[in-house]
Amino acid sequence: MRIGTLKESYIADAALFDSRTQKVWLAIAAALLLLFPFMASDYWLYLACLVSINVASATGLNILTGYTGLVSLGQAAFMGLGAYTVAILQINVGSPFLLNILAGGFVAMLGGLIVGIPSLRVKGLYLAIATIAASFIAHFLFANLKFTGGTGGLALPPASLFGLVLDTSFRLYWVIVPVTVLMLLGAANLFRTRVGRAFIAIRDRDISAEVLGIPLLRYKLLSFGLSSFYAGVAGGLWAYFFRVVTPESFPLLMSIFFLAAIIVGGMGTILGGILGAVFMTMVPELLKLVFDLLPNSTSLTVYLSPVRTIIFGLLIIGFLVFEPHGLAEVWRRIRRFFHLWPFRN
Amino acid sequence: MQNSRISRNRRSLLLAAGASLAAPLAAHAQAGGEDIVLGGSIPMTGVFAFAGVGINAGIQDYLKIVNDAGGIKGRKIKYVPEDTGYKVDVSVAAFKKITSQNKVNLYYGDSTAFSKTINPELERNGNILMAGASFATELNDPKKYPNQFLVGPDYTEMFGILLRHIAKEKPGAKVAFVYSDSEFGRDPIDESEALAKKLGLNVAIKIMTPPGSVDVSTEVIKLRRAAPDYTIFHGYILAPIPEFINQGKQQGMTSKWMGTFWTMDSSTVMKMGEAGDGFMGVMPYRYYYDTSAKAPMLDKIRQMRPEYQSTAYIQGFLAAMLFVESAKRTLDAKKELTGKNLKAALNSIKDFDTGGLIGVPITIKGNSIPVGRVYKADMKAQRMVPASDWIQL
Repeated sequence: MRIGTLKESYIADAALFDSRTQKVWLAIAAALLLLFPFMASDYWLYLACLVSINVASATGLNILTGYTGLVSLGQAAFMGLGAYTVAILQINVGSPFLLNILAGGFVAMLGGLIVGIPSLRVKGLYLAIATIAASFIAHFLFANLKFTGGTGGLALPPASLFGLVLDTSFRLYWVIVPVTVLMLLGAANLFRTRVGRAFIAIRDRDISAEVLGIPLLRYKLLSFGLSSFYAGVAGGLWAYFFRVVTPESFPLLMSIFFLAAIIVGGMGTILGGILGAVFMTMVPELLKLVFDLLPNSTSLTVYLSPVRTIIFGLLIIGFLVFEPHGLAEVWRRIRRFFHLWPFRN
Repeated sequence: MQNSRISRNRRSLLLAAGASLAAPLAAHAQAGGEDIVLGGSIPMTGVFAFAGVGINAGIQDYLKIVNDAGGIKGRKIKYVPEDTGYKVDVSVAAFKKITSQNKVNLYYGDSTAFSKTINPELERNGNILMAGASFATELNDPKKYPNQFLVGPDYTEMFGILLRHIAKEKPGAKVAFVYSDSEFGRDPIDESEALAKKLGLNVAIKIMTPPGSVDVSTEVIKLRRAAPDYTIFHGYILAPIPEFINQGKQQGMTSKWMGTFWTMDSSTVMKMGEAGDGFMGVMPYRYYYDTSAKAPMLDKIRQMRPEYQSTAYIQGFLAAMLFVESAKRTLDAKKELTGKNLKAALNSIKDFDTGGLIGVPITIKGNSIPVGRVYKADMKAQRMVPASDWIQL
């Protein structure tokens, strides 16, 4: 049982990792992440990279929607902006890939700042529609500009780091996962600063936030910018991971996927973005593995596949009904149980 | 005493387990070697499930025929499909999963985007020959896609077949292209416009519609003004083709209406109702019910499945047939089953009889099979009937 953690200063209270237990678990998680590529097959490494990219993008959307309260359905378009920037730079300029990814993030950020302008006037569903419009404009530009390769898109060569070609999931893992971890740390730290607290104040009541001296336009745009920066970087990683970028790579459905991820995971928590992205990416795959255990699963695939899709849908509905605060809350409850055990359960 | 009994029991259990594990291996060794694995990223759910289910059944049925007859040189072909929901990231995951768990030599992919995305992986792997549901012109390039092939003509070649038919039927005719604003829709347009000019045809108008558009009344007015003799639709499955035809006919248009492969399944065309009577299009394969010529393989299919099978089924069936033929030729030449050898074997196919699935013997020089025939909808008979002979490019 853990009775409590003694905090002697404000800095200690605001620390990201506040107990030894937490630090030990994080060290174990870091060690597992380091060991994972040496133990996993190509399939699991692929999924780990895909989950990482999705976690990065979902965290970006969580900053905007979960923390600032601005609903966006443009996350996939911002990822597209990042992916296309990376592809164009890699093909035409050949600049270092980390620089390309950063550039992807900044171009997406610029896109986010423009799309965010209506957010001062419109909120909720209205803003969501405005961001959908932005994603249609992005799709039109990707499909019709000459340097984006038209509807056929762009195929880019693999990234290379110090002469090492990053063309396998194993090699990309060492770039994608650390970048995602850095982004997660950045997001977690953001909410220990004035900016992060301003976002939360805007989400809770924007008029009150303005009365408190928070310039709404600046902070709303900043939130859009940061969120789309995350999407742009995730899109850049996506481009190096799949190496083919087309206008159809970033459909509206992808934005809905990220929105669903943060809702299922838990809006307004960093852990929620992580758990949501992991859930949305991994559960369909895990269901496949479970179904594979059934006898004659290969010949029955055609019947089992729709059943699997229905189960996945039911799981999402189940989470929304029974735990509206998302998986992060489930996780917190499990932690609380062990903290208080054996006195209360 | 008790301990020794336990250890004896454990030993006999281990021996039994070992024997049961070894038994299938011994059976394999007797049969002539390990299975040849055909993996598949198959869209059994999602927007393309209507085709994926047929493709899956087609592949399964052909492999059953081959395996029941003893396989290839005693080696059975194991089919390992995974559902993809027609999403590229899921298709790639399926590929990685199947190739991690099996030694795969043959693979069926579900989309153009997947074919493009997985191409570097195919080259790195070096052991796989891949075909798929895509007929994209871009994939018909043996240099860029050395380990892939199309199970029929590419979209530009499909247009080529239609335009040649038009040029023969009505020299100098006015043609309209109506296509969706997507990679699929735009694929053959530019090259086909050039070909039309070369054939002495006049491309009167090109109309691009948003994918999934329903209200096409302004586009129909434009089309009517252009007054084409033939209108070719591409980049759609069904909608908005019936809308175009219905409104066009109401406005007095006399155009003949045409489509390409994914519109041309019998069940799809029949959904057009009365408006679809006379609808024509290019089809690389014989329809399930086409008995106009001898087709022993179609007879076999009809025996196995008495109910109608879609053109997607025939596509999957033929893909499996060409995979098997390539593997057979590679093993006959005592070569290893590598992507390069399998592709060379595929390209050695000359005047090959598909058992009537395609009406003429086929030769595969590059990445496609540039053969097809124009079929026409007979709504009274609820069938597609031949409107041309087989056209080879």
